[in-house]
This record gives sequence, structure tokens and C-alpha cells, in this order.
Amino acid sequence: MSFLTGPNRAHLNGHKEETSYNDIVRVKPQKEVYIPLDNGTNYVFEAVVKEGDLVKVGTLLGRRTGNMIVPYYSPVAGKVGSTKTMMHAVLKPVPHMVIEDDGTYEKVQSFKPLDYTLASREELVEFMMNSGLVGCGGAGFPSYMKYRNPQGLETLMINAVECEPYITSDYRFTETHLDDLKVGVLALLKMSTAKKAVVAIKKTKKTLIAQLKESFSDHPEVEIFLTPDAYPMGWERTLVYQHGKKRYNRLPSEVGYVINNVTTTISFAQALKNGEGLTEKLVTFSGDGLISPCNVLVPYGTKIGEIVQQIGGYACDDVLLIAGGPMMGKTITNDDFVITNYANAITVLKNEVIDALPCMRCGRCNDTCPAGLLPVRINNAEKMKDLDLMVKLNADQCIECGLCSYVCPSKIDVTEGVRKAKRVLALRKK
Amino acid sequence: MKYTFKVSPNYRTPLSTQQIMLELTLGILVVLSYNVYFYFTKVGTNYGFHAAYMILTSVAVAVLTEVVWALAFKKDVVKQLTSSFPWVTALLFVSMLTVSKPLYAVAIGSFVAIFIGKLIFGGFGHNIFNPAGVGRIFTELSFGGLVVTAFPDVVTGATPNTIMERLGWVIQDPTKVTAYLDQFGGLWHLFTGNYLGALGETNTLLILLVGIYLAIRGVLDWKVPAVFLSSIFVFAGIIALVQGMGWWYPVFHLFTGGVMFGAIFMLTDPVTSPTSITGRVIFAIGTALLVIVLRVKSNLPEGVIRSILFMNMMTPLIDQVTDGWQFKDVKKNLMKIGGVVLTSVATIVLIANLIHYIEPAKVVIPEMVIVLGDPLKIMDTVTEDMTEIVSRTDEGDIATFVISSKGYAVLYDEYAEDPKPNIFEIKINTVTKTVVNATYLTFSDTFKIGDKTNSEIFFNQFLNLDITNPDATIDTVTGSTYSSESSIRALKAAILALGQ
Repeated sequence: MSFLTGPNRAHLNGHKEETSYNDIVRVKPQKEVYIPLDNGTNYVFEAVVKEGDLVKVGTLLGRRTGNMIVPYYSPVAGKVGSTKTMMHAVLKPVPHMVIEDDGTYEKVQSFKPLDYTLASREELVEFMMNSGLVGCGGAGFPSYMKYRNPQGLETLMINAVECEPYITSDYRFTETHLDDLKVGVLALLKMSTAKKAVVAIKKTKKTLIAQLKESFSDHPEVEIFLTPDAYPMGWERTLVYQHGKKRYNRLPSEVGYVINNVTTTISFAQALKNGEGLTEKLVTFSGDGLISPCNVLVPYGTKIGEIVQQIGGYACDDVLLIAGGPMMGKTITNDDFVITNYANAITVLKNEVIDALPCMRCGRCNDTCPAGLLPVRINNAEKMKDLDLMVKLNADQCIECGLCSYVCPSKIDVTEGVRKAKRVLALRKK
Repeated sequence: MKYTFKVSPNYRTPLSTQQIMLELTLGILVVLSYNVYFYFTKVGTNYGFHAAYMILTSVAVAVLTEVVWALAFKKDVVKQLTSSFPWVTALLFVSMLTVSKPLYAVAIGSFVAIFIGKLIFGGFGHNIFNPAGVGRIFTELSFGGLVVTAFPDVVTGATPNTIMERLGWVIQDPTKVTAYLDQFGGLWHLFTGNYLGALGETNTLLILLVGIYLAIRGVLDWKVPAVFLSSIFVFAGIIALVQGMGWWYPVFHLFTGGVMFGAIFMLTDPVTSPTSITGRVIFAIGTALLVIVLRVKSNLPEGVIRSILFMNMMTPLIDQVTDGWQFKDVKKNLMKIGGVVLTSVATIVLIANLIHYIEPAKVVIPEMVIVLGDPLKIMDTVTEDMTEIVSRTDEGDIATFVISSKGYAVLYDEYAEDPKPNIFEIKINTVTKTVVNATYLTFSDTFKIGDKTNSEIFFNQFLNLDITNPDATIDTVTGSTYSSESSIRALKAAILALGQ
């Protein structure tokens, strides 16, 4: 009942027009790429190549192993160098494999292409694992994991909502790869054994919606679902609730949904077609801290600083350099980190001083919280170090979407308070 | 190159607390402006000026209090003012006062509102009670009966609710209902603020419009006033059903006594109300229940501010009760609200059976204070184009004139819908040349102001007046100079007609 819980979302000014229409810029690393061998989750990386080996675009470099298997394919052709520990976009030091780019971009097929119409469900899942595909919505979760056990899945949802402000990479990637999207959706549908597929997109993207409808006109099992222009419409829980009016506890599969990002879907289709993993990423570089915001097509592993330099540089001396969008992305205090294979945006904003006022208890954060929490109460509980109250307020359900800080008229860092409470609860569990 | 670290999100809504307070200030000013204008045009310029002075005094004292506080605690004065918004409290406070309050009472009340109501709790955002409400209650307790002596009070004791209070908050007899409502020109006049009351509370329609605008602008949460007003309507409706009264009764409750002002400007004060929607709904229903209970069962006619302050006290408790996870607690929260509604309805049904109509002792309308002021020479008044002899009948020595004479309504009231002159009947003894009787046949000027002339004190001056005396004077009634002049003019017309 939304009268009692509030709208649980808010319309944000998206600033999407800044990068929606201009040319996509192709950027190359200056000398080297740095492949992050981990994304901060402490998995073991088993290298296949060693220092001094010559690799081509698409050569298997190694695998992340453990519960989840993720192979890595080289984004450039050149010589493998040493392994260096560098700062990662998740704000943790992570070992990176250095590859010297020889500038030739000579390609090698990474694996055999597969025709999804002939392949079995199991073959497709295994293919997906071998392709090294990870979720391109920002989390980098290996996609095949979602399809291993398809029991109870009824709806495949393709998430093309892209609700973070400034980011347009999904949109730009989709409008140029409609055919691949179609193949990807049908292949995923087969893998999921779901009865129908839903492509969710903001209702404001009129041109793309028309193209999608036409593209899927011969597939009645694929629905184009229009969502309101609101944040965080692309969050799985918000999206599932918007479509099926269902809420779940941990995973969308509890209510019959499996969800993949639209770029992931297209990349999967490309892997099926060409037999190559994801080595190049379309990334939005936007924000008022850049001279010319645009979408960049770049081999993963390229340093942010090199990219910014090639697209015109920073617009001012004091910036917030954000890995991701301004709502959920983290600020990073140097531009020495690299684009991962699941990155979708770098946002650079002018650093403006914000003066906070005392909380006037207006409750806007409570009304807009997409998780249905009471952020102002959690903040107070955290300040008072009232552990029981933090538990009662379910602080651990926060996804740090940032909306409570966004709507706060007194400009208080509400999200940070909730984040602290969440950390307190997580530590207690351990 | 500097890469600054800040916690996410690094994107903020353009709507700021300063912006919210600015729009709120403008909203209150719109409402206050209407009333100042009302006093200037319909009551008297001196009232208009006094209303304006009251507003200025309240704001000045509030700002000064904060400045002194900032200086005393070595804070940046500008920052203190722009992050504490004393003028909002001051404007809300003065809106709840009647026009007759002396300026020093306004000043003390405004000081109390800011100092006791807000600053001693830690300033903006930390106060428990609505500061303006604190100031209002303090002023009522300390200076309740106090009025400016310079002009007789037109307000004290005669608001719709005080009269209703004397009737026991029940009127069943339809003719009595009509008579009661007609005193104020009916429900429509109550709705549009065409009566005397507190400075900013009377024009229900205007407050509602401002409220809708502020809700659309996102300055206030529409749910609080919506739930509050519907609760008032339902609770008063239950009383109307139990007592066999018509639909006018709940509507009357909505239109009078600062209910709308409280709903839009006082109840929505975020600092002193709960933070969750469930909490705010309970808060609004609870306040509505108290308003109705205090109205019909306490010995004071008005309960909106008292109810709000009481519920302010309940806010921490309500917050505590509604703590949880909103998505999971929807059913629980609905049950909590249901519980509050059931308790409220039961209370109202009980109370509805405990009240009854009280026959007014003698007069329903309290007597107006009539003071005679400046004398006016009869022959100095202007009759040309102003008066008209409607008829003259002679019976023996007595000549009876029916005379129409333009009064305030025709001459000055630009907003009267269909202004008519006053009609007088004046009897003159043609032998002794004295006035035998003078009275209104039809009074057409402003109700409760001009009709002070429709009194014995005033017309007794006419009796036995020697009409041959060219210097004869009659004292005008203070506060209704124009109607007095209209009467005196009618007398002159009669004298002139007799002379011919």
C-alpha cells in the first residue's frame, strides 16, 4: 500500500541529454592495460599466461576460481608484464596483470561460437560461464550463476532502465545493437526456461521503445515494459515490484524472476555469434567536471586518467571523480584506477561545498526509501549507538542507493549514517 | 588537480530547507495580507494599521531574540538567522492572535515563542513543541482578556465558536440553525473569511488554496492536512448523526476556529510531528479527535492549538511505536491506525451522547461595546445626492418621514455585492419642532460595525431635539462613523423637508 509507505522512489534530473546524441569516442590505452584479477571479493586467480608471454585480443589470460568461475580474455595484443597491486574502483587495493599494448589489436577467437537454437540449456549455461560474462549493471556478478538452477523461473527480465543520472551507455549500446539484443533475449529465455521475457525501459525513451517493439513484433512472448522515469527504477526489487507487484526477501527467483542487464544480454549474443568474450566496454564519461562528456568505447583495463586526457580533460581543478553514477558510485581520490569489464560510467562533478542544516524531521527520506526503511530513524539510532533499534529498523536491508541523502532538504548525509548502521550490524553478525 | 573524497551520493535535490521556508513564508504572508486588507477596507483604517504593526512587532522581536542569542553564544548571526528561520514562527504566531492585542503582548508572546518554544531546546530542529503554538498559548493565558483600549474591540467574545460554545455545540432546530449561521452571512461567508477572528485564521478558502499550492510545490506533505480535515469531518459528522443535525455541522467545524490554519500551517510543522507516514496519520487523527473533544466538552471554545501541542508531546511515542520496516509492517501499521480510528470513533460517539442544546439566556449575540465619540453638527452634513425622501405622512401634529440615506455600504464599500442605502423612519412634532422618534427601517451597512448605531444610546440623542437650533449636534458612534453620519444626514433631510 503506497499511501502508508510513500512513493519509494523519486524523479531525478538525469542529465542524460549530455551524452545521448553525440558521437561515441574510441579510446585506446597509451601503453599498457591493467587487468584487475579480483573485484575486492578475494577470489583466487589462476593465471594461464605468464610474464613475457605474447597475447592477442581474446587470448585467455586466466580464471577466477572458487564458487564462481570467471575466465578473463585479453583486451589488447602485446606482451604480458608483471603483476602490480593497484587501487581498484571498489576502493580496495587489488592485484592487476599488466599487458603492454603493441597497438596491433590482432584478434584471436577465444572459443567456438554457438547457435542458441540448436544448443541445449545446459550447453548455453556452460558457454556463458566460459565466455566470462559478468553483470554489466555495475555489480559484476557472474551471469551464468543465475541460470544454473532454473526451477520456478517464470519471467526473464531484461533491465534497460538505467536509472542513475548521467549514464547513457546502456541506452547507446542498445540502440546500436538491436539485433544482438533480440538474439540475447531469446537465448536467455531458453536458458531460463521462463515462459516470457520482459524488456524494461523508461517510458521517456520513445524512439528506442518504438525500435524495440518493432524488433520483437514477431515474438509475443517478449513484452516491452515501460517504467516511470524515476530512481531507483532499475533496482531489481523496485523493478520486480513495478512489474509484478511482488516483493521478495533475498533473490528475485523467489518470486519467479531472473534479471539481466541489457548490455550483458547483448554481450552474450555477441559471444554466441563471434566466439569472443567481453574485451571492450562502452562507458559514459559525463558530468560538469569534464570539458566534453561523451560515451567512450575502450578496452577494459585502461586507466581513467588516460581516457579523460584523450576526451578533452577536466573542466576544473577540484573534482569529484566517481566510479559509476553520482548516486551510488564512490569518489576516488586519483584517476589512476582502470575501467573494469563491468564498468558502465565514470562521472566527474565539480566539487561544490554543501552546508548541512539540522534535521527538521520532515520524513522525506522515509517516504522515498525504495527499501521501505526509515533512514532518519536509523541515523538517530546509529548516533545513539542503539543496536537493538538498528536491528528493529532493519538497517541491513539498505542498498545504499543514496536517495535519502538526495531528497534531504537539509543536505544531511543520511545514506552515510545508514551505511554506518549497516556496518555495525554486519560486524555484529560476524 | 584535486580529487576530493566525499561519501556517496554526490547528487542532491535542488529543493533545500531554505527554499521550503521561503515558500512557506510567502504562503503565510498571502493569508495575512488578505486579513490586513480586510481590516483596512471593511473594519477601519486604524484596525488595518494595528494589524500591520502587530505583524511587524512579532517578526522584529523574533529576529532580535535570535540575534541576541547568537551574539550571546558567539555564533555567526547571519548563519543563525538563515538556518533558524525565526520569522516563520513569528508570522505563524501572530496569525493566531485577534487584531485587538496590544503590541507589547505581541512582543512578549513572540519572544516566548522563539526563546522558550525553540531556542532553549537547542534551536531549529530540536524543539518539542510547535514554537508558534507555545507563544499563542502563553499569550492567551497571560493576556487573554487584554485588548487595545484605543478602539473598542470588535472581536472579543463574538467569534462563531464562542457563540456556538454558549449553545452547547448543538443546534437541532432548523430555524435556529439558519438564524445562527445567518449572523455570519451563512457558511459561505465563514468559508471565505468574511468575519472577524484571528489575524490569519478566518479565510478558510484562501488558506486551503495556499495549502494546495504548497503541497504541489513539495513544501508540505498533503497527507497530514488531508487526514486531519477528513477526521474532523467524520468525527463532527458522527455528532451530527447522533444529535440529528444536518451536513452543515461538520462543515461548520471545518470552516471555523483555525481548523484550516492549523491543518495547513501548524500540523505540518515537520520538527514536531512524527517522521513516518503511519506516524503522521496517527498524529493527524489524534489531533482531530482532541480538537472535537476540546471544542464540545471543554470550557474553552477553541482547541486546535492545544490539541496540536498535546500531540507534539506524543510525537516521540508515536515514532517509537511505528519504528520498523515499512514494507513488512504494512498490515501492522494499518492495524495501529485502525486502533486509533476505533478508539476515536468510540470516544466521539460517547461524547455525542453527552452534549445537548443550551437555550441562550437572553441574547445570542453578545452586546457590542458602544462608545459615543466626536460630535457632528447636524446642519454640517451633506444631504445633496445622499438622501431621498421616500414618503411623508402627517397624522395630527406628527409628521412621519421615511428617508433613504447612503451609508458606508454605498459610499465606501467597493466590495459590497449590491450596496443599498440605509432606510430611516423619523417622526417630528410639527408644533413643538422636536424630534419624536428616529429609527432604522432597514440597516444596510457592515454588520457588527455600522449597526452599533442601531442602538438606544445613539438614537436617544435624537429624542426631543430642537430642530430649529442650527448648532445642534449629535455624537457619532466610535467605530461606525459612516453609519452615524448616514443617520444624522437623514435627520437633516427631514428637517429641510419640513422647512419647505
